[in-house]
Amino acid sequence: MQNNDRLEISRLIHRFGLGPKPGEYSALVAGGINQARTNVLTVPIVDQGIAKIPDPILTDLGPFPPQKTSAAATFEAARNQQILLLQLWWLDRMVAATHGLTERLTWFWHGHWATAIGKVEYALPMFNQNQLLRSTSLSNFKNQAHKMIVDSALLFWLDGNSNIATSPNENLAREFMELFTLGVGAYSELDVQTVAKALTGYNTVRSAGTVSFNPKKHDNSILSFLGTAGVFDAPAVSDYITSLTNDQDFIAQRMWFRFISTSDPLLDKTIINSFANREILPLVQALATNSAMSNPLYSQAKSPVEWFVSVCRAVNVLPSSLPRNSVVIRYLATMGQVPFDPPNVGGWPFDEAWLNISSMQARLAFSKYILNGADFSSFNAIPSTDARIDYLADLLGVAEWSTRTKVVLRTALNNPRELVLIGINAPEYVVNA
Amino acid sequence: MDTISRRKFLTLVGAGAAGAAATRLSIADIAMAGQLRPLPPGTPILVIVTLYGGNDGLNTVIPYADSIYKQSRPGIYVDDAHLIPLDAELALNGTMSGFKTLWDNQNLAIVRGVGYPNPVLSHFSSMAIWQSGLPTALTNTGWIGRWLDGQKQDPMNAIGLGSVLPPLLVGAKKVGSVLPLGGLVVPDHTTAFDLHRLGLPDSTDGPLQAAAASAITDFLNLGKNLTPILKLPAPVPDNLPTQAGGSFGSDSSLSQQLDVVAKLIAANAPTKVWAVSLGGFDTHADEVQGQSTLLGTVSQAVTKFIGQMHATSRQNDVVVLVYSEFGRRVKANGTMGTDHGTAGPVFVIGNGVDGGKFYGDEPSLVKLNDGNLTVTTDFRDIYASMLEDVLRTPAAQVIPDWNSKLPLLLSA
Repeated sequence: MQNNDRLEISRLIHRFGLGPKPGEYSALVAGGINQARTNVLTVPIVDQGIAKIPDPILTDLGPFPPQKTSAAATFEAARNQQILLLQLWWLDRMVAATHGLTERLTWFWHGHWATAIGKVEYALPMFNQNQLLRSTSLSNFKNQAHKMIVDSALLFWLDGNSNIATSPNENLAREFMELFTLGVGAYSELDVQTVAKALTGYNTVRSAGTVSFNPKKHDNSILSFLGTAGVFDAPAVSDYITSLTNDQDFIAQRMWFRFISTSDPLLDKTIINSFANREILPLVQALATNSAMSNPLYSQAKSPVEWFVSVCRAVNVLPSSLPRNSVVIRYLATMGQVPFDPPNVGGWPFDEAWLNISSMQARLAFSKYILNGADFSSFNAIPSTDARIDYLADLLGVAEWSTRTKVVLRTALNNPRELVLIGINAPEYVVNA
Repeated sequence: MDTISRRKFLTLVGAGAAGAAATRLSIADIAMAGQLRPLPPGTPILVIVTLYGGNDGLNTVIPYADSIYKQSRPGIYVDDAHLIPLDAELALNGTMSGFKTLWDNQNLAIVRGVGYPNPVLSHFSSMAIWQSGLPTALTNTGWIGRWLDGQKQDPMNAIGLGSVLPPLLVGAKKVGSVLPLGGLVVPDHTTAFDLHRLGLPDSTDGPLQAAAASAITDFLNLGKNLTPILKLPAPVPDNLPTQAGGSFGSDSSLSQQLDVVAKLIAANAPTKVWAVSLGGFDTHADEVQGQSTLLGTVSQAVTKFIGQMHATSRQNDVVVLVYSEFGRRVKANGTMGTDHGTAGPVFVIGNGVDGGKFYGDEPSLVKLNDGNLTVTTDFRDIYASMLEDVLRTPAAQVIPDWNSKLPLLLSA
């Protein structure tokens, strides 16, 4: 019973949070599973940790200057600086958050509406999108989609800017239905072409992150798609599509996939029904309290960002305060996951994709870099016995070490830094059992 | 051996990669195998190049003499100054000078209008169809994976470059292996010692924890004193193209991947199928420059690779197959690009290829389906040729009931 609680609470704190702060996991285990669920699923009005992280100052850098001019060099430096500021700001928030649910859900939605700064190129529109995802992360999905379909970064990413009635571009229309709201097969090719017409007339000023609508470039004809007909603009299209039953099923399946199991589909109707009104928090609560949370088969590998953030939280290291902090982004790139830069519109891979020699090598080198400045004095109060191994499990939110890992940990009982290094590279930590 | 569910196969295709139960090889493993059990001379080798994103075939193999081509795509057609005619009707994109040389040497075959019945215009679904090789069946296996199922157990039979395995290498009983690009640094002694034990299997490991543990072991198995083949110079190509456009993408990741393949083929690795890839072909906007650069990369990297093969004893054994999940719409969209389409060209390259000619009919620019080209050649006719005339395996073992193929190989 106790061990089952440890497993479920470890999943709660890693999947619906971002990993435990020191002392948090043992306190949750002591309070029992019901209290842990309430704790993890209740967002405080003010998050004291996040309150300490100021928003980045991002400015409209204007258009790219002509190449190979001195203005171009200055511009590039400023642009790269803003991108780094943005990336570290979000990582700092994830690490500093006293309560992880909002940032964890924002992270999920970022992977869902996967928009990459590699193409958008400016930090400001990505910041705006991130704030939009955060403010809607636990509220209403219809509202989120209504705003996202005219989000500057998303429009630019999927070529929805400068999209004109006389020859619409289908990219946004297709991915909106296939990946963001309905799932593949829930629409016809004619629906893609028709919805694309409804998405015409929008323009973005990328550097400013602004969007304007030009009625003259918009298709104002009566459009028929997915069982409806009428004159539509982009938010109206979104409102209709997200009202379809397929949207309810699809979003519930996507959340199940990312939070519970990548191997089995969601079959539990009560979870799907919890999303009937497209309210996200009830769906999250239904997932987090479902019996699947203690199914031993449903392990999940931590993605590189999830692993990094959970390590930083456990050892009290703020990413931006690490030496030469741009190195953080370089390591994350080597591991294959940089915030704001997913590989394609389908988002990041999962599970086995993160468990290979290249990521292993990067994780080990990254560990040494993270731990260099960390403070391990809390170990001093713990005798140099197996008590330190148990303390480490609680510190990292690991339900149970395997015999294999305990053998290795016992070689480092006198060296807290080495203990943590082993712990954060152990299979029991790299994979959330 | 564990494999993956249908659901996971589809999703992994979306992510561009799979990894279930894949053996992760070190360079040392392959080098050792190349010495202990070298690939017998004359054994055919298939190199599969996947272009992710849906390559616009009409701006790759260009129907430049057809006035409808230019009319359909104002602003984004390839003009006469930027193309390389192959005959009076079709031309290569001007960045593909290397491919023109291969064509002139009769080492490059172009299959036109390739696709499958009832085309799907989703990247992820269409790529799953191409990688599975079965357009209608619900399968969780890739076409090379099913070929692997019929081979003797050997983790080196098929290798994908990169950190994760492409789904086409996933079989029902066997899976291909994955080889990460670049060198690996083995950590200092103490940590390496501890890590070695951290990578041991434990009876309580689930499949993912076991994968994490074996990644540690594989990483350390490189050993401290191996001389990685990766650090040796790659074979020197004998035919580097010098024509305009040949300089594109010389440092691209496709070129790096093929460099590693070339080194390992030269080292007699017992590997019959290699899989490499390049992304970025989803050109909905501002297509002309972006796609041309990518095509230049493909042409240059593959041409260099063929040249490297000429410096080995394998030049007659290697066949390169280049494909994408779909072609693009005939008409340009409003953002100087093209939307997802259907049929596209496939390239088959090698000394043993009956090249310098076209296979399959060029799709009509008039008889369109919903604005899309009509498929004239089923990709399974190409796969069947690769299976039977390169890998010497009856196609029906991999693609049930399929009994037609294109005579792409001189030996066919």
